[in-house]
Amino acid sequence: MARDEGCHRHRLESRGVGGVAVSRFVKECRREWKRLRVPDSVANEMAADLTADLAEAEAEGASPEDVLGSSAFDPRSFAASWAAERGVSQPPTARVGSPPRWWPIAAIAAIAVALVGALLLIAPKPGFHFQIGSSASGVTVVPHSSFRGPPPGLAAHASTLADHVHELGGLILIVGIVAMIATLVWIWRSRAGGGSGWSSPSAA
Amino acid sequence: MATTGRHTQLLRGVLDLCLLAVVDDGPAYGYEMTKRLRARGLSIVGDGSVYPLLGRLERDGLVETYRAASNGGPPRKYYRTSADGRRMLVDGVSEWRATRDAIDTVLNPVESEV
Repeated sequence: MARDEGCHRHRLESRGVGGVAVSRFVKECRREWKRLRVPDSVANEMAADLTADLAEAEAEGASPEDVLGSSAFDPRSFAASWAAERGVSQPPTARVGSPPRWWPIAAIAAIAVALVGALLLIAPKPGFHFQIGSSASGVTVVPHSSFRGPPPGLAAHASTLADHVHELGGLILIVGIVAMIATLVWIWRSRAGGGSGWSSPSAA
Repeated sequence: MATTGRHTQLLRGVLDLCLLAVVDDGPAYGYEMTKRLRARGLSIVGDGSVYPLLGRLERDGLVETYRAASNGGPPRKYYRTSADGRRMLVDGVSEWRATRDAIDTVLNPVESEV
């Protein structure tokens, strides 16, 4: 039932945009042939024949479904089937339906980067604690009561350094989180296959 | 639904013969063959298209191809039966007729009772 609704929607789109739908269909086929490493000369030939046939059909008032049947709703399966039957396709470098082999490494690297960032972010400041407060005369450094602390110049320098480390930690954490999200999206897209879920042509 | 499925299954075994038969009528390009099949009352495109099947026939050396200008359109890839294809067509038609006759023998009594 859902497939029927999808077919109906696609049929309406095809009628609505005419040649645009044809070129989109052929473009999808080309993408699949490229993924299947079909030689360019063969892919160009198939694309040209398909375009010419669909254009002729359209000029005669026929729809892409009249030429391609149910394959009109699934350009990728159609293209894959055609190339396979011709014996011109090769196994794709990255198989659709499964994430790339290096995804665990990417995921671990992203988590490691995020962890390093988090550690830098929560790392304690140097052992001499001080407060920076304002007074009428300007900024005053108030050392921790139990520790006299280093000279004021060195303390300020250490504080600045600690702030930079924290900023760097925050930055690395953000990079790590973005990398984790990117890895998850990549895995999800790989599993989804990047194409539609239409059926393959069965009659041919 | 079951009838549609059986129809598809029955067609699947002889589609290559049907396609070879219309190619044997004279050189034609893909869409032209779709139209020839339809003109003979066979609309196979409901379940697919002729292109993958033509690809298989080409790969198996049962059809030969060449490019030529079409009527007012761009150059097209034309298909024609090869010598092997012609032999396969003749043999296949004999097989089909023998199979059809055998099945008719089984099914005809049922038909007469209905």
